[in-house]
Amino acid sequence: MKRRTFLKTTAAASVGTQLLGGVPLRAFSPDQLQNLLEADDDRILIVVQLFGGNDGLNTIIPVDDPEYYNIRPVIAVQKSDAVSVLSRVHMHPALAPAGSYNLKTMFEDGRLAIVQGIGYENPNLSHFRSTDIWLSGFNSSDPNKRLIDGWLGRYWANKIQGFPENLPSDPTAVQIGGTLSMLLQSPKGDIGIALTDPEKFFEQGQGLSPDLDPMPEDSRYGREFNFIRLVAEQSDRYSSVVKQAFDRGRNTLTYDDNGFVKQMQLVARLISGGLKSKVYLVYMGGFDTHVQQQNEDLTGLHPFLLEKLSLGIGQFMQDALAQGFADRVVGMTVSEFGRRPYQNGSRGTDHGAASVQFVFGNKVRAGVYGDAPDLANLNSNGDLRWQYDYRRVYADILETWFGGTPEATEAVFEERFLPLGVLQRPTSVQDAYDGRTQVNVRAYPNPTATSAVLEWQQGVPAGVTIELYGTDGRFVETLHRGTVQPGTVQIPIHPSRPGAFICNVIVNGRPTPVPLSVVR
Amino acid sequence: MERRQFINHLFALGKRPSLADGPPLMVEGGIEPYTTPLTLEDVLHLYRRAGFGATMAQARAQVGRQAADVVNELLGTGDEPPHDPPGPWVDTWTENPQGADLQTRLAIERSWDANMANLANWWIGRMASDTTSIEKLTLFWSSHWVTEFGFDNIFSIPQMLFRQLQIFRTKRLGDLREMALEITLDPAMLQYLGGTYNIKGRANENYARELMELFLTGIGWYTEGDVKEAARVLTGWRTQRFSDEPAPNDKYVTWFDAAAHDIGAKQFLGQTIAARTEDNNTAFQVKFDEVFKLIQIIFDVRADAVSGFIADKAYRYFVYSSPTEVDPTFLADLAAAYRNADFDLRALFATMFTSAHFFDPAIRGAQITTPLEYLAGLQRRLGKGLANPHQWVENMDQPVMDPPTVAGWPGYRSWISTNTYPMRRTYARTLIQAMSDAEVNTWIRTFDEYDDARKFTANVVTFLLPVAVSQERMDYYLQALLQNAPDYDWPSILNDASAAAKRTRDLLITLSKAPDFQLC
Repeated sequence: MKRRTFLKTTAAASVGTQLLGGVPLRAFSPDQLQNLLEADDDRILIVVQLFGGNDGLNTIIPVDDPEYYNIRPVIAVQKSDAVSVLSRVHMHPALAPAGSYNLKTMFEDGRLAIVQGIGYENPNLSHFRSTDIWLSGFNSSDPNKRLIDGWLGRYWANKIQGFPENLPSDPTAVQIGGTLSMLLQSPKGDIGIALTDPEKFFEQGQGLSPDLDPMPEDSRYGREFNFIRLVAEQSDRYSSVVKQAFDRGRNTLTYDDNGFVKQMQLVARLISGGLKSKVYLVYMGGFDTHVQQQNEDLTGLHPFLLEKLSLGIGQFMQDALAQGFADRVVGMTVSEFGRRPYQNGSRGTDHGAASVQFVFGNKVRAGVYGDAPDLANLNSNGDLRWQYDYRRVYADILETWFGGTPEATEAVFEERFLPLGVLQRPTSVQDAYDGRTQVNVRAYPNPTATSAVLEWQQGVPAGVTIELYGTDGRFVETLHRGTVQPGTVQIPIHPSRPGAFICNVIVNGRPTPVPLSVVR
Repeated sequence: MERRQFINHLFALGKRPSLADGPPLMVEGGIEPYTTPLTLEDVLHLYRRAGFGATMAQARAQVGRQAADVVNELLGTGDEPPHDPPGPWVDTWTENPQGADLQTRLAIERSWDANMANLANWWIGRMASDTTSIEKLTLFWSSHWVTEFGFDNIFSIPQMLFRQLQIFRTKRLGDLREMALEITLDPAMLQYLGGTYNIKGRANENYARELMELFLTGIGWYTEGDVKEAARVLTGWRTQRFSDEPAPNDKYVTWFDAAAHDIGAKQFLGQTIAARTEDNNTAFQVKFDEVFKLIQIIFDVRADAVSGFIADKAYRYFVYSSPTEVDPTFLADLAAAYRNADFDLRALFATMFTSAHFFDPAIRGAQITTPLEYLAGLQRRLGKGLANPHQWVENMDQPVMDPPTVAGWPGYRSWISTNTYPMRRTYARTLIQAMSDAEVNTWIRTFDEYDDARKFTANVVTFLLPVAVSQERMDYYLQALLQNAPDYDWPSILNDASAAAKRTRDLLITLSKAPDFQLC
């Protein structure tokens, strides 16, 4: 596919009145305003898909590891070229274009989490299978298990009342460009729309509602007929909704002229215009850098892509801050795998395994998660080992960001995962009153040979559940369920097997993770 | 307007016709040959799937014949004369834009775009006028062995793509091993998947992996070690895109760089490909004793995987593309028939297109047309096309020879989205409105008994929709044609070319709104 400029957006019209979600502020009473500002359901997720497999080792640079320079004699980034940020990480210099708001400055401002060693068990080196694993949320090593729908599609299709018979007023998800991703598909139908140009969508989508009723679902023909019928209806209905938001919305800065950056610009404008979509999916291809990934002077395909990624996210964030919706948006990158640690013969790298993930927004718990990759301890194929299952970040999104229950997360993945904790949990006055606050838990003895005691000070009567997870975030067992009274709480626990664990102490629905080692 | 007419008019405008029960869900037909003499509906089904549709005259001529005879003619012989090239540019060199000044560079890239548009429009014209399945099968193989015209900043030069197309056309019915050998050494493929950069000691695994994963076996039939060894086998083949690159065998012809070939022994799928001496390191010997040997090993050691993978791919392309609803018995029988014919593709296609399964009612109307099938099929059946069809199919997400990734187009429901469905509707409306009065009147007269409004409507519906419709829906279409005139007025309306054309256009546009207008 050609590297096309996706959008020919017209210059943003400037709007005089201060807007909240595209509606003039004066339209609201103070109470309504308060409700709107606190409402949980105005939260938005942006998924930035980096197709091809982003090279984590040349994104966050392991400058202190001599092995990195041994195995990448041509394409390594020298320590003197890498950009040191807050003395915590070294970034590829392309991530810090001069004079821009970008991933480096976002990290400095506490708006970026960097997750190292993101991946999954038994890494698959196929672009397509691995992309499917990332988008479906199922890590199945059985190639005969077909992965056909997405974790966000399944979550929202269950959450929206009456879907798909009753379509919500606004599309639940919007994908910019392309054919609709598996991520947004569900067994009940697509939860979102694909959209390239709102003006053209409006022009062509009007009046497309079908003049025929649905068919019975008892034939292949009937099912495909109904699928197309639903898309026709979505085209008609959502083309006006999107156009309205696009016309009301605005951008407060001039974005870089690049396909991906323009996608981020359009997302900002639709949010600014009050579109009530929960999920946006934007896409950047080209990360399959087998050939000419990077030249000695740090030019080349990969630096080009990193710069656009950083600019697109940075300019979006700047716009979001200026327009006051930055608190409502988090974003994350997903890429099917990282690259092989050693370079190949064509200044590139072949398919690899674990990599780096970015999570951005005002509400992230900024910092670096996970250890720098261990080049002395590669897997049997010579690839980086993973530290965190990719679904731990997804669990953060579903539970911490969208307010879903652990049971809903489990229904989505058919497996339970402990949220990694990259997002801030909002705490309201009511939360404190109800005891939905984190507690300061101590586990002792730790490490232990058999059992341990969890102890904390409890303010109000509460329901308590204690779960055990592996350090990869996968659920092991439930250790305790009960109620506690105010005062010093002591609960003995007995893990059924040895290992390195995370105890998840859930008090009135609010989790606190505590590390625990059982050595026998 | 009289009162009764007025009521009929309201009826026609406001009421949604219901639909009769569609075809059954269960497929009863298996691999056994379909021996019932073909009906008009059977013929139209066969031509829609195995080609780009039949004209009414062509379809009528096949009624009453045996499927085996018709399919035999449709498939062709495989030794048809080569394509007349779309223009003299196919034998010209293209300059190297790298390092040229901006003006020159843009001029060179514009010439590629122009040549690609010329190639695409020319090929679409061949599809729309093809009375056989030659172009459809060529398109199938072109969609299977993927290269992309525009791949990030790298282009497959249209000259190379034209040459590649000839491989698919001439090898479409033969031994798949021979097609695999030619494509493995095809200049466009060597360029696209990095084979031309695959050098001894610094292997580039890209093509080696995709040869198995995407082109021959699917994942799960080889180890990462097999990928690395196959990459070594494939070292040393070079190609060129520009006039300033070495081309010892003429332009756009692959050459062998002995110094870049790894002459050591390779272990692949448990078999040994013997080491060779420097004396034996020639193009001819390496081509047959290593590259072809590698392909033969895949077909020998993984015969079940290859036959299953290719049968599955063909089934989804021509019969039913849902990833979940397969008939495992039919697929296994089809794979066995192909394998037992020693991988002769003619046997695969003939068995599939003449099977009782293929003609089963449960399969009719279940396939979502690809943009090229939709566009070329309408052009063929309406006898009219629009200018620059390549632009239209690109807007429907199927730019010719330019799929989104190396896995090709994802197919099935991904063809229909809120992006592409409105485009398809716009195309049909624009095309129908572009038909002149004379063209519409000529078209009307291709139908038997066209002067009987009911029979004419019924024949048009049979011709353009894949499955019989309910009486109520048929009445609705009759109203779209007659627009409250009594049906005995139709012959006199036919005397007014302009009135007949307008009403027929209205009927066609109404038909194009039906969800099953997108199905075949």
